Amino acid sequence: MKNKIIEAEDLTKIYKSVKAVDDISFSVEEGELFGFLGPNGAGKTTTIKMLTTLASVTSGKATVASYDVVKNPAEVRKSIGMVPQELTADDELKGIENLLLSAKLHHVSNASARKKAQDLLQLLELEGAAQRQVKTYSGGMRRRLQLAMGLIHEPKILFLDEPTLGLDIQTRQKMWAYIRQLNRENGITVFMTTHYLEEADSLCDRIAIIDSGVIKVSGYPYELKSKLGATILTLQIGDGVDISTTLSAIKDVDQVEKEGEVYRIKLGRTDALPAVVEAISKSRLKISDINLTKPTLEQVFLQITGNTMRDGAANGDSYGQRVLIERLK
Amino acid sequence: MFEDTLALTNRFLKKWIRNPAAMMPGLFMAIFWLALFGSSFNPVNLVPTQIGGTTLSPVLVEQIKAAITSVFGGAANYITFLTAGVITFVVIINAAYGGIDIVLDRQLGYLNSLLSAPISRASIFFSGVMQNFVKAMFIALLTFIVGFLLPNGLEVGSGFGVPNLIGIFVAFGLLTFGFSCLFTSLSYSVKQVDSLVAIVNFLAFPLVFMSSAIFPLGNFPSWLKGIAEVNPITTACETVRLLVVNGNLSPERLSTFAGNMLYLVIFAVAFAMIGYLIARRALKAE
Repeated sequence: MKNKIIEAEDLTKIYKSVKAVDDISFSVEEGELFGFLGPNGAGKTTTIKMLTTLASVTSGKATVASYDVVKNPAEVRKSIGMVPQELTADDELKGIENLLLSAKLHHVSNASARKKAQDLLQLLELEGAAQRQVKTYSGGMRRRLQLAMGLIHEPKILFLDEPTLGLDIQTRQKMWAYIRQLNRENGITVFMTTHYLEEADSLCDRIAIIDSGVIKVSGYPYELKSKLGATILTLQIGDGVDISTTLSAIKDVDQVEKEGEVYRIKLGRTDALPAVVEAISKSRLKISDINLTKPTLEQVFLQITGNTMRDGAANGDSYGQRVLIERLK
Repeated sequence: MFEDTLALTNRFLKKWIRNPAAMMPGLFMAIFWLALFGSSFNPVNLVPTQIGGTTLSPVLVEQIKAAITSVFGGAANYITFLTAGVITFVVIINAAYGGIDIVLDRQLGYLNSLLSAPISRASIFFSGVMQNFVKAMFIALLTFIVGFLLPNGLEVGSGFGVPNLIGIFVAFGLLTFGFSCLFTSLSYSVKQVDSLVAIVNFLAFPLVFMSSAIFPLGNFPSWLKGIAEVNPITTACETVRLLVVNGNLSPERLSTFAGNMLYLVIFAVAFAMIGYLIARRALKAE
């Protein structure tokens, strides 16, 4: 069994009267890519802030790289790399200057910093832009530079707060590839928050979904999707015969709905598919269209949070709004 | 800690050097104050040449002018007196507004990147102080040069030399350092640029007006004089004037100079400590 590199136990953060994080417990194993999902104002960033020593802990306990975030913040800071959701690379400095400054602040020797900077610039395809001021960079280049800044000191754990926020799909997929490569090849533990559910599904080994400061569910993405149960099989059969009863009798077929020529069949397990096709074939009917929809993480998310993703302060969600306001104070 | 402070100070200064337009307001403020205020508000210009249709004798006019100039502590003209005051005003304003970069660092999230790095809070604070200090001292030097270049401008006493110049800039430096500490700590404490501007306006102007920066203390109301006498701006201005007007310092003046410098050192150290305590509180985990 791998070491637990991040552990939170009954972690709580209260901003004045607002409970931003409410008694959460979770752990992340060494080398894992862990996703923290939730609507805006759910408590994701507050949790990251507590784990990276930027926010105090109201109650509970958290250890990062075996160091207590409250008792030993200096050691925690030495072990982590932080890539915030804001674009924090300095506009007036060149890309390479930002990287080397970041290395200096993490006490990396000059020679080692230069070598590491070159490697990262190459990996993140920023070599050509290294000598340019960051104000000339596109959003995607800035995000990649920030990722490099978070990695220059070779941290054990990388915290990514919304690493692909605002990026187009091509750039987002490239970022995913970089993150995957860093995690698989360099063994860096990654703790990331994201809004993009397909991002969490594609990248993360395990996820936790937080809403209103409470972890609602955590586990492997496939596990959470299969808990949701339903794979939906949609069939079009055009012979005017109703075989709903036959189909309902098949093992692991949970529900059959018929609307005109279209059957919507809810399967408890995907394994039931061949039996369904065989039953139709035995009834000497012809399938004119077939579609199999597996449950998505988005469906899991919506079922758990009971909402489409909220925009915190922007759309009047009162909890998110209160958390943001208290944090800004 | 020293290397971290230096690295962060370099970052601030690189940004400043790459944006020369940012230096202009400070420089223009100095020129306007010296050239426009210094010339148009020169009290000597108020001496009339006629009263009730009677022309005053030129000798009398010159005697009145000389009497007025004498309140400037031996300065040859008002601009010579005013230069020290304008420099203190300009360095305080620059040390204060240099804090805008610090507030923006917080607003843009850069400060959080620093706070999650393994560096001491003291190095974050002192890098802010040093950037404000360097910017303000650069403007002080330019203002001093402007004072010399103005017609009927800054006139130094005979025997003025490099030691005087060093003494002048050490006095300005101590004052600037103290106020940089104060304004840097306030910059780390506020979350909006507007709040910083309000604090600067609330503090900087009264501090300057309650000192001998613009006018000698002799004619101040007694309650204001008491405040002005302990104001370190007054101490810095008087020290600089002492060194400008008197090339070589007599033993008595040397003792005044030493006392003033000690006062400024105490002020700088005290404000560094107070500033650090304020900043440390502002930089602790939210």
